[in-house]
Amino acid sequence: MIFVLDEISFRNLLHQWLNSYKIFVPEIFDGQKVPNIAILDKEKLEKFSLSVFENIRVWEPLKAIFSLPKEKVASFGNGEDSKEREKVLLIGAKVCDLRPLAVLKKMYLKEDFVFEEFKDRLENTLIISADCPYPQDTCFCNLVGLKPYVDRDIDGILPDLNLSFVDNKILVEVFTERGEELLKERIGVRKEEAEREILERRNEIRDNAYFTLKKINEKELKEDISKKVLEGEKNFWDKNLESCVECFGCLYVCPTCFCFLLSDYQVEKHYERIKVWDTCYHPMYARVAGGLNPRAEFYKRGRNRFHCKFSNFYFDYNFYACSGCGRCFSVCMGKIDIRKILLGL
Amino acid sequence: MSKLFKVIKAKILDIIDETPTIRTFVLAPEQEFSFLAGQFAALTCLGIGEGFFTPSSSPYDKEKIEFTIMRVGRVTNGLFSLKKGDYVGLRGPFGKPYPLEKFEGREVFIVGGGVGMAPLRSLFLALLHDLSKYKKVYIRYGARTPRDLVYKNSLFEWQKIENVDLDLTVDVGDETWDGKVGVVTILLDEIPCDVNTACAVVCGPPLMMKFTLQKLLEKSFREENIYLSMEKNMSCAVGMCGHCRMGRYFVCKDGPVLTWQQIKDIEDPFI
Repeated sequence: MIFVLDEISFRNLLHQWLNSYKIFVPEIFDGQKVPNIAILDKEKLEKFSLSVFENIRVWEPLKAIFSLPKEKVASFGNGEDSKEREKVLLIGAKVCDLRPLAVLKKMYLKEDFVFEEFKDRLENTLIISADCPYPQDTCFCNLVGLKPYVDRDIDGILPDLNLSFVDNKILVEVFTERGEELLKERIGVRKEEAEREILERRNEIRDNAYFTLKKINEKELKEDISKKVLEGEKNFWDKNLESCVECFGCLYVCPTCFCFLLSDYQVEKHYERIKVWDTCYHPMYARVAGGLNPRAEFYKRGRNRFHCKFSNFYFDYNFYACSGCGRCFSVCMGKIDIRKILLGL
Repeated sequence: MSKLFKVIKAKILDIIDETPTIRTFVLAPEQEFSFLAGQFAALTCLGIGEGFFTPSSSPYDKEKIEFTIMRVGRVTNGLFSLKKGDYVGLRGPFGKPYPLEKFEGREVFIVGGGVGMAPLRSLFLALLHDLSKYKKVYIRYGARTPRDLVYKNSLFEWQKIENVDLDLTVDVGDETWDGKVGVVTILLDEIPCDVNTACAVVCGPPLMMKFTLQKLLEKSFREENIYLSMEKNMSCAVGMCGHCRMGRYFVCKDGPVLTWQQIKDIEDPFI
């Protein structure tokens, strides 16, 4: 079911959702091209421009909402903390934000072991995705099998609703029962079922976005890139990663990077186990006690990122652990473009 | 909070000095803790962190669990500062056990180096539980010096068991040693079992693993019958954190024991 809403109705929806949910939205500051993630409140809503949803993905990887950069995962000798059950509404997620959640889901929700904090947050977060009508030069979701809009579940992640902005109207596509509930019995919300004409217009905007993206990234990745990536020789990686300053920025902003490290600390008279995001570019990442390090040389760490995302993960789950969001080279001080490396293989 | 990373408490019942740098910690978990031979566990030295070790005791011993540990890093230093009566944290078991069902009716050729004998002791004790199921069990064990051999008393007892063939060597002998001298691969010059069907199980330091593997292949053991214990950096032990990634495998989830057939295409698997 696809509904058409006007701006006032959508604002009324946001206003009412604020009563029940913690709402994350993109927020853009003057002069910025790329929005940041922000928590919406009633004051912010007054000045909130809906056009922000038409920007590309936010700077921050949305994994930060589901697997916090730093969080306590166990404590000893201090009783149990209560389980969090905050209801969250994440509005404006792009297709390149959804695949990463599918990656995290594969990694953290296994048959025999479940990362409960992640599961809890995923279950308690309603996702409202948004089309991405204006891809930028950094975007390459088309190279990894995605399109700049959401018309189906993305590798097993189905948003509850999807937004498309068409000529001052907002098309709201309902994907789930939870999404349907979000629209039910709302005051001051006029919604009509979308008719053919406006749907055709939406498709036109979507096709244009995809066309733009294909113009940005004309050359496709080789079909057997998952094998090619393993064949790269030392010289290839040395040359292509030469300008890396090992700041690890690319991996911290990468929404599909799932690695973490557990560390224990004494806090007064009890002990806490803390989980922090980790990155395989770190020289100590794979070092074992005693000093041996399978990835002591940088090219081995550098290529590991490619092996992980484009070969190992693909081999296990049949989709790349990359969504083409372009965050990695947006932050890269060495201007390393992942696309160039992949196309060079 | 997540049950995944919580530990159960285990009291240290005894600490046995095996060598100057290796101790066996005998633990009594406060809750039931069952494992199969070859599976590993996370030991927490409270406030310092976790280390990952395969138990060295029999999986059939439900009263206590033993870990034989070499002092090499931060966590093991912490563990070595503990005394009888202190507590550690225990999490697990993790990973896949040795495939004992595949060993049935066959000769099992165990090769250990140094502290690598720890998981092999657990395997041997599991085999010993019903030795009649296996054609014969061979143990080939080497350490740097006679002082570095672990389980000295047990080794000499095991030598007396029928259907068990045990041979030892040390890299450098001393006045107490009248056995063989040389690296562990000298014990593989003569292979008394049928290499077409025998299963070789190897655990030890990386170089020893590398050269033992070479020798086993030279002697025509089948690659699918060579079981190798892999040591990798770990953090979560449940296949989530990424640290123990080794090619297509997560050593914590797919291992810690992998066959040579599984890992032969991986560059430098023993580093």
